[in-house]
Amino acid sequence: MISPRLQSTLGCYGIVLPSLALLTLFVYLPVAWAFVGSVYEFEIGAEAQFVGFANYAEYIWQDPTALPSLLNMLALTLIAVAVRLSFPLVVARLIYALPTERWRYVYRVIFLAPVVVPGVAIQLIWSGMIFSDAGLLNQLLESIGLVHWSRGWLADPETALLAVAAVGFPFVGGFEVLIYYAGFSSIPDSVNEASAIDGCTGWQKFFRIDIPMVLSQLKLILILTIISGVQGFEHLFILTRGGPGFETTVPGLWMYFNAFSFQRMGYACAIGVLLFILVFGLTMLNLRYFKSSEQLQGVR
Amino acid sequence: MKRSHTWLIHSILICFSALTLLPFVFVVNNALRTNAEYYHDFFSIPGALTDALAATGALVTGAPLTNAAGVRTQISADDALSESMGRLTRGPRLAWKVIRPYMLNTIIVALLTVTGVLLLGSATAYVLARYRFAGHRALFLFIISTMMFPGVLTLVPSFLLVKNLGLLNTYGAMILPYIAGGQVFAIYVFKSYFEGLPEDLFESARMDGAGHLHIYWQIVLPLSRPVFSVVAIMNILGTWNNFLWPFITNTEGKQHVVASGIYVLAKSAHASNFSTLYAAYAISSIPLLILFAYATKPFMRGVTSGAFKA
Repeated sequence: MISPRLQSTLGCYGIVLPSLALLTLFVYLPVAWAFVGSVYEFEIGAEAQFVGFANYAEYIWQDPTALPSLLNMLALTLIAVAVRLSFPLVVARLIYALPTERWRYVYRVIFLAPVVVPGVAIQLIWSGMIFSDAGLLNQLLESIGLVHWSRGWLADPETALLAVAAVGFPFVGGFEVLIYYAGFSSIPDSVNEASAIDGCTGWQKFFRIDIPMVLSQLKLILILTIISGVQGFEHLFILTRGGPGFETTVPGLWMYFNAFSFQRMGYACAIGVLLFILVFGLTMLNLRYFKSSEQLQGVR
Repeated sequence: MKRSHTWLIHSILICFSALTLLPFVFVVNNALRTNAEYYHDFFSIPGALTDALAATGALVTGAPLTNAAGVRTQISADDALSESMGRLTRGPRLAWKVIRPYMLNTIIVALLTVTGVLLLGSATAYVLARYRFAGHRALFLFIISTMMFPGVLTLVPSFLLVKNLGLLNTYGAMILPYIAGGQVFAIYVFKSYFEGLPEDLFESARMDGAGHLHIYWQIVLPLSRPVFSVVAIMNILGTWNNFLWPFITNTEGKQHVVASGIYVLAKSAHASNFSTLYAAYAISSIPLLILFAYATKPFMRGVTSGAFKA
């Protein structure tokens, strides 16, 4: 005889079972597989060979792309952090400063609209229409008489990395503007009124009051940008495939090529694990040392 | 706020809007032009468009059609219009031919994924939010912990898994992992929403002898429409944007979705035909543009709520 309590518990487990099964199969199993696979050398269809930490050692000590790709990743991530914490923030603050809700809504819609364009299309548009040989940038340079500056921006080793970082300029068509705007619009009226009475306006108000009040949004974008900077490589695959040479290669992209071009699955898993450790460490650091505005308010 | 300030803000914001949207204007322009026009003058408007407008003008006013030199042409305005419209729509027509199967695949994958995510996500979240049973905390932790594993860690093993399951080149290769991953965000959002529903509702339903399913269908679902639409939109957006996974799991290329399909198109022989290529980019955005226009508010709410992921 099953007690009603046990029956209810079993019922609950019955309902969550499909969710758990899918998570176990498609998330936890690959995670475990990544760690296990990283100590083997194997290609699809061949026998796997246990190699211990040789994959890790090879990547860290011998792989010629390891250091340059790490530096590229660092540079791209730093630039991404700088632009995602500035351009959308300024635009969101300007929208917030508009006196009528109608216009604020219109601009929010305008700056969100580009999210309907698939990311791939954006990358292809920038590589094919803006940075290409007969593209927009070279045409503009030609029309203002700077034809000797024109080049294949993504193919020139001197400009490839910067061109990659510049894709999406002016970096305001997307989620960030709305997220910052949500932060600004949740500043209590009392705070704004008190600062106005104290004569705190303009830039002073921006830095002393507005920025601290959207600190949790800034922190959020910071974490998201760092995470996608460390692990993201799709855009580089589309824009340059890591070239010219290894000028725009990042570790994630190298992992992809090892797995799907060179058939070195174990080696790719090892790079994946190293990147996971990096992402995990950075997220922990962020959560620990970067206080949110709620916490700051609590301290005051 | 002073008026002059407001105008200054407007002008800065208009500059930003223009810089953000101009590339897409050029995309549409290129979709309607020939390669020759593209190379000759990047900024020119489509010749077919000016011809079509001239023919329409001639039709409306009844004046004879003249060519660029001002000489009367032998062609009737009707013929000129259909001919120029034919040229104008050539790129989009070709692009649609290429992209139609991709579009169909994307819609199938996105709809099945979003259905699975909403069903599983809301059911699991409902149980976790409204029932206290042995291990419910551990369960939630088990689910939510999956968010700390970045895609870069699981990409290669997930591919090997899907391959070993024999799912390569099927919709299942996309749908099943998408539901598995997508439900986590859904569970998080649904759970916090369901926890906010008043307990009295459930209490009285249980007194009336309603079971799990009955409560779920009759009480929870009708009360949660807004949060369902937010989760649905964020999920569809994610599926639509996913490029790499469909790209690597469709080794035979038959189940390509729009994102991977336009990449394949851009690297194929079609790519030298700019109007086809740019028309394909434009067409790839239309379904989400319609969704965005139809559901702007849930879209916006979704974006700000969807940002919790950190």
